[in-house]
Amino acid sequence: MYGWMGKILRVDLTEHSYEIEDLDEDLARDYIGGRGLATKILYDEIDPAIDAFDPDNKLIFATGPLTGTGAVGSSRFVVVTKSPLGNIGNGNAGGYFGPEMKYAGYDIIIFEGKSSEPIYLWIDDDQIEFRPADDLWGKTVHETEDQIKSLLEIEDPWKRKRIHIASIGPAGENLVKVAAIIVDKHNAAARGGIGAVMGSKNLKAVAIRGSKSIPIADPKGFREAVNAVMDKAKVSPFATQAFPINGSAGILHIYNEVGMLATRNYQTGVFEGAENIDGSMITKGYLIRNRACFSCPMACGGITQVKEGPFKGRAERPDFETVWVFGADCGNDNLEAILKANKGMDTISVGNIIAAAMEMYEKGYITDKDVGFSLKFGDAEAMVKLVEMTAYRKGFGDVIAEGGYHMTHKYGHPELFVGVKKLENPAYDPRACQGIGLNLATAARGACHNKGYTMISEILADAVKIFPKYDPFVTEGKAQLTKGLQDETCIFDNAGICLFLLVTLWTKEVLQQLEPATGAGYTMESIRLAGERTWNIERLFNLKAGLTGKDDNLPKRLLEEPLPEGPGKGHVNKLHEMLPEYYQLRGWDKDGVPTQEKLKELGLD
Amino acid sequence: MKEIRVDFDKCTGCRHCETACSLQHIEDSVNPNLSRIRVYIDMEKDIHIPILAGPYTDAKCTSRYPIIMGGKEYENCILCRAACPAREIFFEPGTEIPLKCDLCGEPPDPACVKWCIHGALTLVELEEDKEDS
Repeated sequence: MYGWMGKILRVDLTEHSYEIEDLDEDLARDYIGGRGLATKILYDEIDPAIDAFDPDNKLIFATGPLTGTGAVGSSRFVVVTKSPLGNIGNGNAGGYFGPEMKYAGYDIIIFEGKSSEPIYLWIDDDQIEFRPADDLWGKTVHETEDQIKSLLEIEDPWKRKRIHIASIGPAGENLVKVAAIIVDKHNAAARGGIGAVMGSKNLKAVAIRGSKSIPIADPKGFREAVNAVMDKAKVSPFATQAFPINGSAGILHIYNEVGMLATRNYQTGVFEGAENIDGSMITKGYLIRNRACFSCPMACGGITQVKEGPFKGRAERPDFETVWVFGADCGNDNLEAILKANKGMDTISVGNIIAAAMEMYEKGYITDKDVGFSLKFGDAEAMVKLVEMTAYRKGFGDVIAEGGYHMTHKYGHPELFVGVKKLENPAYDPRACQGIGLNLATAARGACHNKGYTMISEILADAVKIFPKYDPFVTEGKAQLTKGLQDETCIFDNAGICLFLLVTLWTKEVLQQLEPATGAGYTMESIRLAGERTWNIERLFNLKAGLTGKDDNLPKRLLEEPLPEGPGKGHVNKLHEMLPEYYQLRGWDKDGVPTQEKLKELGLD
Repeated sequence: MKEIRVDFDKCTGCRHCETACSLQHIEDSVNPNLSRIRVYIDMEKDIHIPILAGPYTDAKCTSRYPIIMGGKEYENCILCRAACPAREIFFEPGTEIPLKCDLCGEPPDPACVKWCIHGALTLVELEEDKEDS
């Protein structure tokens, strides 16, 4: 096989044993890899209805055939598991961990069972050790990485730097349902509580180093393809300027201008403090330097530092979502607090839950007695304190740790939960942008913008110049747009390419690199089909887990309460105008169940 | 004569130079461990340093003093370009053959320079040559 390493590492955490298996070549080709392939394996090997923390649940780390090859943006690996929210859970991360998995010789690592005591795994090519992690338990991700590197006693500084680690912090250990898995200290596979599943298995960390080569089918063709894609990136203002300089949060002002920057738990779509928290302000005041993931021209990451005051500290440059959630959604324009709150969990979810709690507090549904202190919108100090309390399940943090769905139901106000399939919504208010509402309602892992980023056509079309332009306020054509983007996004996630590159390149450029790397005979049609197959296997998983078409919905607020101001004033999301057409285009029946014909077409019958 | 000039401040740590180099030299596969340029990344000290493989040496050095540049302290061993018995980089894993940068690739730019989008690596004419001509 080319592109793929052809091996799966299967780790039994109960027995502290492992096996190395061959990757099924046909299956790999059908799904490309990554998210799709891992979901297929999970679907075949577990009962989707089991509890996420049941030892029978499996945690799968999967790369794609392009991961680590030097294809543009080839940093990604994905974590797939049954989510504590009850549906399919997945999150992908950049950094250098995914590529190192390939160099160690594995496309996929499957963790099964549950260790009786805390451990971490040390993978040095074919040498695999189960090491005790009692001393690491309770430590933060930063402390864990440093300690593992010193425990491994490697003197050569270059050798030491080549160890890449995926770990959980206290949130994952404490089974906090918004816990992330963090790689290389700064990159997060975050959504859907996958860090808690890792914690439930008593797996503190995975350290990996590899020395193997990734075989390439047509090296000359591959080099030329990467050259051609790099030439495109070189003239893209997003790849060479916007993202490297101001990070993804540099586009925050755009979403405020179009009136879809969800503010104060989605009470409005315009935030008066937006200009204070835009990515450009981070660069101006706090950025030490920018930073890229493996093989990425965009360098949207970075290191920030707050030198003094209550929010003093160093942290990863927050992405757009993090700035939005701890900014606009919590009604806070104190940038230093946002930098401080950017800690080791699913920031979208934690911030969104805190915003809902703030609204409950302001409406009198919860009081100082519940929270322990006052919790008004814009209270930066309370917000930062709650983030920390959530990771350790201290006081009111214990309520937040169970998720926004649970919290709002507990206090009798489910209408204040802004989420889908129990997963909290990201920044984009779908009342001012119809298509994204359909995507948020139908994405398998819950409200996720990165499963079908329709804003690329509805808002950013003129700036990006790759995608056709759609009016954000109409519903016509949005079912087709959403389905197409969802299927094609799977291609990125499966191949191992970062979706953020969509501002610079799209599936044509993925195929351009994928085919010479793998020589698998891929065409535009076959990779689109692999994408659609991925979307449907996730659907089948969710149906078996007990979800139904009724879960393809948006919170009542977004369907019934019109936006009070801004360009979207007076609008709601008209999901139910789009959903029947979407089901039809998908080949699903009126209840959202894939028809036999569709399953047959995709080879899933 | 030409050389590759390195600007640490422009390096984002993407390591695209490593894959470019290994693809150019090993032809049928990608492996940064076989690259003749390696990026040292220290996120605590905020440094990304691309190091090009220089000459082979058969003995470990004794000069481990730190080097200070632009107000930042660097370990001597990190900045050194030699294939040296004290460390693993710039030796081919398995054969232990030392590796050295040969300004490969299709002219005008070496493979690593071509894939370095932010200009941390540039090909320049050596100063003394310019004066001669």
